[in-house]
Amino acid sequence: MSLLEMRKGTIHFGGLVAVSEATFAIEKGDLFGLIGPNGAGKTTCFNMITGVYRPTSGSVYFKGKQITGTPPNRVAALGIARTFQNIRLFPALSVLENVVVGGFLRHRTGLASALIYLPSAIAETDRLRAEAMDLIRILDLEDVADVRSADLPYGKQRRLEIARAMATQPELLLLDEPAAGMNPQESEDLLRTVRRLRDDFGKTILLIEHDMRFVMNLCEKIFVLDHGEEIAFGPPEKIRNDPGVIQAYLGEAV
Amino acid sequence: MKFVLGRLLSIAAALGLCFAIDVFAHSQNDYTQRLVALAGLYVTLSVSLNLINGITGQFSIGHAAFYQVGAYCGGFLSVRFYDGSPVHGLLWLLVMMAAGAAAAAGAGLVVGLPSLRLRGDYLAIVTMGFGEIIRIIVQNVDAFGGPYGMNVQPKFLHIWLIWLLAVSCIAVCRNLVSSAHGLQFLAVREDEIAAGAMGVNVTRVKVTAFMLGSAFAGAAGALLAHFEGFITPATFAMDVSFIILTMVVLGGSGSITGSVISAAFLSYLPEYLRGLKGPEGGTLAVTGASVAAALFATIIAAGIIRRLLDQARGTPRSRALGVAGIVGATLIGKIVIQWGLLFIPYLRELKIEAGQLRMVIFAVTLIIVMLLRPQGMLAHHELSWAFIGKILGIKAPAKAVTPA
Amino acid sequence: MPLSLQLLAGVDFHTLPQQVVNGIMLGAIYALIALGYTMVYGVLKLINFAHGEVYMLGAYVALFASWRLGFTPEATRGTNLQSSAFNLVILLLASMAICALIGVIIERFAYRPMRQHARIASLITAIGVSMFLQFGGALVLPISPEPNVSGEINPYKGTYQASLTPSPTALVRQRDAAKQPYEAAQKTFDEYIAATHEDRFNLSPKGIEARDLAQQAERTYKDLESKVESAGVSVIVPKGQLVMLVTAVFLMLLLRHLVMRTRAGRAMRAVSHDFDSAALMGVNVNRIVVLTFVLGSSMAGAGAMMTATFLGTPLTTFYGMEAGVKAFTAAVLGGIGNIPGAVLGGLLMGVVEEMVVWAGYSSYRDAIAFVVLILVLLFRPGGLLGSATMEKI
Repeated sequence: MSLLEMRKGTIHFGGLVAVSEATFAIEKGDLFGLIGPNGAGKTTCFNMITGVYRPTSGSVYFKGKQITGTPPNRVAALGIARTFQNIRLFPALSVLENVVVGGFLRHRTGLASALIYLPSAIAETDRLRAEAMDLIRILDLEDVADVRSADLPYGKQRRLEIARAMATQPELLLLDEPAAGMNPQESEDLLRTVRRLRDDFGKTILLIEHDMRFVMNLCEKIFVLDHGEEIAFGPPEKIRNDPGVIQAYLGEAV
Repeated sequence: MKFVLGRLLSIAAALGLCFAIDVFAHSQNDYTQRLVALAGLYVTLSVSLNLINGITGQFSIGHAAFYQVGAYCGGFLSVRFYDGSPVHGLLWLLVMMAAGAAAAAGAGLVVGLPSLRLRGDYLAIVTMGFGEIIRIIVQNVDAFGGPYGMNVQPKFLHIWLIWLLAVSCIAVCRNLVSSAHGLQFLAVREDEIAAGAMGVNVTRVKVTAFMLGSAFAGAAGALLAHFEGFITPATFAMDVSFIILTMVVLGGSGSITGSVISAAFLSYLPEYLRGLKGPEGGTLAVTGASVAAALFATIIAAGIIRRLLDQARGTPRSRALGVAGIVGATLIGKIVIQWGLLFIPYLRELKIEAGQLRMVIFAVTLIIVMLLRPQGMLAHHELSWAFIGKILGIKAPAKAVTPA
Repeated sequence: MPLSLQLLAGVDFHTLPQQVVNGIMLGAIYALIALGYTMVYGVLKLINFAHGEVYMLGAYVALFASWRLGFTPEATRGTNLQSSAFNLVILLLASMAICALIGVIIERFAYRPMRQHARIASLITAIGVSMFLQFGGALVLPISPEPNVSGEINPYKGTYQASLTPSPTALVRQRDAAKQPYEAAQKTFDEYIAATHEDRFNLSPKGIEARDLAQQAERTYKDLESKVESAGVSVIVPKGQLVMLVTAVFLMLLLRHLVMRTRAGRAMRAVSHDFDSAALMGVNVNRIVVLTFVLGSSMAGAGAMMTATFLGTPLTTFYGMEAGVKAFTAAVLGGIGNIPGAVLGGLLMGVVEEMVVWAGYSSYRDAIAFVVLILVLLFRPGGLLGSATMEKI
């Protein structure tokens, strides 16, 4: 059984077909790349999986169970976390607080105990903060743990998004253009970090990326979308030489 | 054990503070007593609105509606059931507070539901609309006395209870934001979609915020009804909502201490003006020319200060000096403009009593705060010892985070 | 009685067409005000909360202008002043001009500095401006006793009556038949009085007999006449309100021409479509925003002048609040940012409001705007003619 399966996922916005019958399966432990030119429907695929949009037709299965149209917070609770293409942190919250929000799914005390500030609520908050701190260390953000996330440099904001998503303790991590706007050095570091998330923490990773070098070096399976339709699927070597892909990216270095 | 002791101490301190306020108020005349009571109610109202607006980011401008629901619920139950009820005195009042809170929380649920689909300005308009609908409905119910209002018996003059409600409201909000639960509320304010993707149940958070905030307003309403002994729909008109909004905005939306300070200040200010004595001993009246001049000068000064802050040149100190200079120049400008305006006979002869300026001052406050410091006095900050230290340049020791 | 019948107890279907016509008259004014909301929202994405207060000030301008023209409360008491259409034009132009000026001042000093900030900050500022004009206005403007523009300034007196369905001919014939005996009996009685010089209030038995006959005939005739009236459906429109409707339609067509056919109008539509891109393309956005406020506010001024003059409603500084809310609802109902939508929404709001009154719920006539507003925002946030936009994630 695949970890995630998209079966004929299709979505229309008015007359526009954003994604048409996308079908792919991600196995546990995959480093799965989703690529395609601008406007190909990659982020829309993410939105379909995470419940932001309900597919017009088709379905999404996670661990064999249908999750089509499940609201985003339920999807997150099931074990799928994501980052956003145009960074969506909680700007006024500190780095630590951002990550604690991600960890809240595992919170065990009720709202009432928080409102009257029972010791159990305080202890629970402390526990979540400590867990968040561990993740912050893994993603090399400890020096800025108390900084407002809006004040972080771009590369760190991208890493914070990953830390926050990791805090939900997902099985499947969706990364939407994690290397966008990074310089080669940062991008190199990120590549190692993402690989580590798979190797050391056992996460399955689905990522969208424009930086071809990044995708080719990192991913083991690549799914190519153009105008909402699948044009190729396979390992990097196959994609690199696929005439359809080269055609789609005409003018861009592959 | 340490926890129990600490908790008992803080409860004792809160009660002590409330009784001190009570004792102080009762040593004064009726007018001051009412002022102290209303200030306490406004603190509750603005802190509870801040929970919805500032902390959860659901822009609501119809808070008076919940105040009204609580007041009418408490008032109506008292009129109907107080005679012959086994519960009397303070206990009855507490029951009424609970009833008012429950009714208002129900209204909060209804008003909170649109917040699931609407954002920002549209939500604001809808909350205002709900407020007006509730007021118009109450106005048409004969059992509530229609537009003429209703007398509420028995009357209670427990100012300490009013302040205890305010302190509890502050405590609950403060507890919320310092626990992990509160971070969910802040996350919804900051970015709803990201919060949802991180597993935050956005629906539940919004509805909870509305219900909790409304419940406190409702309890305050029940207290108001029994304190005043008389309520009419006009007591809860749209301008009351705007007064509460002004308090939250001035304090800095998201800042609990900010709301408290500005609520206390803004409920005192108009009374201070009303109490001002003119040269003949009567209430102070100013000429239309003086008011208009003050207004023009303020607007011009606000414009100049805004430009100064936008350009953001120089050190904070030199900018502060610049602002101080403009404020000084404004005073001179005001006198000059006033002198000019006195040539207009209408403005020279028009006399305005200081007390009449109340709502105008709120309106001008709202505009000036938005123009100069839209994040409010304290912005998201709390007036804590650490924050005061930071302003004064003393670095607080970094909080150690224990590794797990 | 079943509940559904109880709810409609106050309904009289003969008055329905009249109410619809009243609703259209009212709706035309709402449409004029709604245009201001919709244009400003289109360009700045700002709910111009103070628009209702601009409308209120417009009504006061009309009041002061009418006083200047000699129609003061003292002058109109007792004496018969002659007015002309010229006076109305002066009032209209004065209201429009001053409102345009006020709109521009508000934009320049309150909204422009807020443009970089969050939309909600602009909304709070707008609320502040609105409160300021309401309460500040109450300090300087005449509010007690509530003044109103004298009806004397309206030269178009009298009404038009149109009958929609004629009364049954049998009834009409009966009435006409009863008219002659009635007039005859009346005449007999009058002649009797003239001949005998009897006191009308102290008649002899013979006189009483004649009087009773005359009264009997009158009653028969009047009964038949009222039967004829209630059997037919007719609509009565004061001439002044007809002038109001025509002017409103003319102004809306003029606005449409300005927005659709002129260079400035094209620039305005560009700014409304995408503020930043329009700025980058060299459109002077500040000029366009000012133009938007000029047009929107002068429409509100025109509406205010017409309601103040033709309906004669007493003025307070809260005069604009209800009209403002209803017009805003109209704008949202039609699809905010959409000019034909505002007109459609305005007319619908006017009719809906009159329907509520017609159904016997006049004490809820101010709540209905909010109910419509909430329903539209929840179930069709794009309005009737607009389309909802989706946030890009």
